Amino acid sequence: MIDAIFQFLFKYQPLVYEQGDFVWGSSRWMSASVLVATGIAAYALFTYRGVLGHGPRDRVVLIGLRLAVLAVLAVCLFRPMLILKVAVPQQNFVGVLLDDSRSMQVSDLEGLPRGSYVRDNFAAADGLLLTQLSEKFVVRTYRFSSTAQRLEPGDGLSFTGTGTRLGDALGRARDELAGLPLSGLIVVTDGADTSEAAFDVSLASLKAESIPVFPVGVGEERLVRDIQVSRVETPRTALKGTSLVVDVVVTQTGFAGEKFPLVVESEGRVVDTQDITMPPDGEAATIRVRFKVDDGGPRRFKFRIPEQPGEQVLPNNARENLIDVLDRRVKLLYLEGEPRFEAKFIKQALEQDPNVQVVLLQRTAAATPSAPPKFLRLGIDTPDELIEGFPLTEEELFTYSGLILGSVEASAFTAEQLRMIAEFVGRRGGGLLTLGGRRSFAEGGWGGTPVAEALPVTLDGSANAKAGDYFSEISVLPARAGQAHPVVQLAATDAASLEAWRKLPPVTSVNLIQSVKPGASTLLSGEDANGVDLVVLAAQRYGRGKALAFPVQDSWLWRMHASMPVTDSTHHDFWQRLLRWVVDGVPGRVEVATAPDRVEPREPVTMTALVTDKKYQDVSDARVTAIVRSPTGVVTEVPMSWTVRRDGEYQATFAPEEEGAYQVRVTATRDGESLGSSITHLRAAPSDREYFDPVLRTSLLRRLADETGGKYFQAADTSKLAEALSLSGRGVTVVEEKDLWDMPALFLLLIVFAGGEWVYRRARGLA
Amino acid sequence: MRLSTTQRRSIAFIVTSILISLGLTVEAQRGFSQRRGGEDRFSGNIRLEGNQPYDGRFTFVRVSYQNFMSRRNEWSHDYPVGERHFMKILNEVSLVNPYTETSNVLALDNPELMKYPIAYMAEPGYWMMTEAELAGLTAYLKKGGFLIFDDFRSPWEWGNLELQMARIYPNARWVDLTAEHPIFHSFYDINNLDLIPQYFQNYGTPKFRGLFEDNDPSKRMIAIANFDTDISEFWEYADTGIRSVSETNEAFKLGVNYIIYALTH
Repeated sequence: MIDAIFQFLFKYQPLVYEQGDFVWGSSRWMSASVLVATGIAAYALFTYRGVLGHGPRDRVVLIGLRLAVLAVLAVCLFRPMLILKVAVPQQNFVGVLLDDSRSMQVSDLEGLPRGSYVRDNFAAADGLLLTQLSEKFVVRTYRFSSTAQRLEPGDGLSFTGTGTRLGDALGRARDELAGLPLSGLIVVTDGADTSEAAFDVSLASLKAESIPVFPVGVGEERLVRDIQVSRVETPRTALKGTSLVVDVVVTQTGFAGEKFPLVVESEGRVVDTQDITMPPDGEAATIRVRFKVDDGGPRRFKFRIPEQPGEQVLPNNARENLIDVLDRRVKLLYLEGEPRFEAKFIKQALEQDPNVQVVLLQRTAAATPSAPPKFLRLGIDTPDELIEGFPLTEEELFTYSGLILGSVEASAFTAEQLRMIAEFVGRRGGGLLTLGGRRSFAEGGWGGTPVAEALPVTLDGSANAKAGDYFSEISVLPARAGQAHPVVQLAATDAASLEAWRKLPPVTSVNLIQSVKPGASTLLSGEDANGVDLVVLAAQRYGRGKALAFPVQDSWLWRMHASMPVTDSTHHDFWQRLLRWVVDGVPGRVEVATAPDRVEPREPVTMTALVTDKKYQDVSDARVTAIVRSPTGVVTEVPMSWTVRRDGEYQATFAPEEEGAYQVRVTATRDGESLGSSITHLRAAPSDREYFDPVLRTSLLRRLADETGGKYFQAADTSKLAEALSLSGRGVTVVEEKDLWDMPALFLLLIVFAGGEWVYRRARGLA
Repeated sequence: MRLSTTQRRSIAFIVTSILISLGLTVEAQRGFSQRRGGEDRFSGNIRLEGNQPYDGRFTFVRVSYQNFMSRRNEWSHDYPVGERHFMKILNEVSLVNPYTETSNVLALDNPELMKYPIAYMAEPGYWMMTEAELAGLTAYLKKGGFLIFDDFRSPWEWGNLELQMARIYPNARWVDLTAEHPIFHSFYDINNLDLIPQYFQNYGTPKFRGLFEDNDPSKRMIAIANFDTDISEFWEYADTGIRSVSETNEAFKLGVNYIIYALTH
């Protein structure tokens, strides 16, 4: 309607004005004549000064109206016009790119799938828009999803593509049509582009070559009824038996306030279910789910909300993540400097854990001038293990993944051993946990040592506190940063967990620790008998590893205290989770990862390995091989080469042919000696990314049009598409002059101004 | 001659024991009845010293109980001198850092008992439990507490211990321990249990019996019983010269091993 009014008043469609260049078309003689006429008009106006008996307002109004009439006439006499480059019919090419991906199956065009619009208008030989275009252009049609191909007559669109690589498709069409008179490219898509990097590169090329793109947006910018599991962050690896806390982000439209279950499944077995209330339309809700990884090997975990009636997109109700569940025994060394109950109960908590081995090196007697300290070794694998006490070499210490320092003073170690402990965290990537006690932290003289550098809490190195200076009971609660942390989760929900913490009896501490270092997190905090806030559990990354401080001397009270029921497992659960987290992610001597962990069949994946020696020093001259085993057992050996940009880093690429889980085992040798091996898993499966956020992305398509000089069209209004292409100015064109002087709008203006003067004179008695 | 570390430690231990014995000889002259800490087990009157409030430091805990045969306080036998001497030795030879001048006396139904996961009971042959005490000891042992029974003899007294413990563990099976058990090697290597002295007459060699979780000797030991002997009597008389230093040494070694074992297992 608006366009019709515009065309009536201004003679041409808005598109013509957008594409045309405005010029004045009058000849010199005509211009001179207009100037003379202007002079005469000026004289005529001068005669108005003789109008007597009337006020200045009459003069201003009459002069103004008369000038307006003359101005309109002058404009007409200068002959305004638009210069257009119009494509010569059948002399130019147009590339039409049709989205053939899964998201085109979404039915949001008045109940019809997006794909039906594409079929009806472009794919069929008698397609309406295709016919219009064919009248003016030579049309080359392409379909694209993960790849782009020419769409030959008779080819159908399946709308089953697992990705939308719009950038690649534009590049392909541009390359194929290079050298031909190209009026522009038409892209018919919902804009669900899943390869942004290629898109930007192609966009820059199109701009450089001045190829206009005319996107046709198909679909709605907002679904009416849909539930989507938008994001799930899970670790790539987890030790078998670990309790994970995972945030699941859910968005929806049309179901606000309704309650649905969120189900977590492992290989089809339900491991957790919780009811969630849908957030307001368009807003995201983060739901924390807790589940245990009980079975070893590569496990697929599915997070899903059951499909609801009326949903427009069903596959986005679930997300599936792969977790490599490591069924191995991880070893921690626990050095306890004095016999005390904490060691007994920590050991007891981990006794039934088949995946975490705590080796207790219990110092029972101090060194004397004539005898070394006396140790009791428990949980050792060989008679010689720790026979000399605390390890004297990095090779020995670095065989452990975690290190717990109980109530032991810094002077019990040599300077070299202190440095080794810091390197254990920083270089080896181990987990260090320091416990409270009269020989711990500042009271144990740890201030100013290399280990204090690694600790997440601040110690006063210049004036170490003395044992006995401080003692208090502490009531422990999760700190703000700890509420979401798996270590402090004592129950199935945040509220239940907080309640469980409130019910725990107080513990005691002899180490007054009140602050953490910048970058460290306080997971548990407490208040002592005097109301002083204390740090109870803090952690920080240090180099490749992490360091934790737990300045409590008797967490075993959470087991033994009279208020704790016999069946309560809080103490055991806490220590199992804490120690599992201490060793979580601790690297082996050879580590391998793939990026990403899920690809489509035949999509290349990069395998990256980090190789170190027994001292965890990077090794760049190793022979590294990836042995890839396909789901059907086909083994491929892929040599990996040093990347040069980083010591000890090796890479290779591999394209899985089959669908399913691939095992990637990397082995490293140097001078015939094995440096170690590592296993990871990779999943080759059709991508489901198309189903997530499957709405029409108008902003992306408008940007594509604006930056290339094209024009964006809605699917519902493409009547001007062919004309827009004709006027794109690209290809073989002829110049057309479009006169504007005779547009109705100017004639109407003349009538309005002249009529206005007449009416004014009549009203004022001047006629 | 070079002495091994173990030999050096043994010598140090013996010297320490002798010093403690000599140092306390003067006090010993005051007579038993006055000195034995206020124990008057035959009259039923006990002069209890105050308990040490909990602060995380190791404290010797003696379990008090009712005597089902008379008003005699059998639980207090050797209190408090026995534990004082033992804690001094423990403090000298190890890093346990116990209180040496104070100790606790707690009933099995006292919630404070839960703060001390090692407890000692004398003369369990005369021990009986109220329902509250039964509940207290059940929780104590199942949560991780460790109980040392000492100073009893005869099948009749053993039968009473079995009877009482069967109220907690109906299928409890006590296991005769051998010198190979880790409890005899947790600090000192006690390689021959026959060397452990016998305090009573006519009861043969002492027997050491353990009670384990699920009756499985590979699991946690819940309690140990020094049957047909009285280890704490040697502790008590360490300063009197009544028993030989070597016999007293063995009794102390046994006690030290029990504590270290229970602190780590």
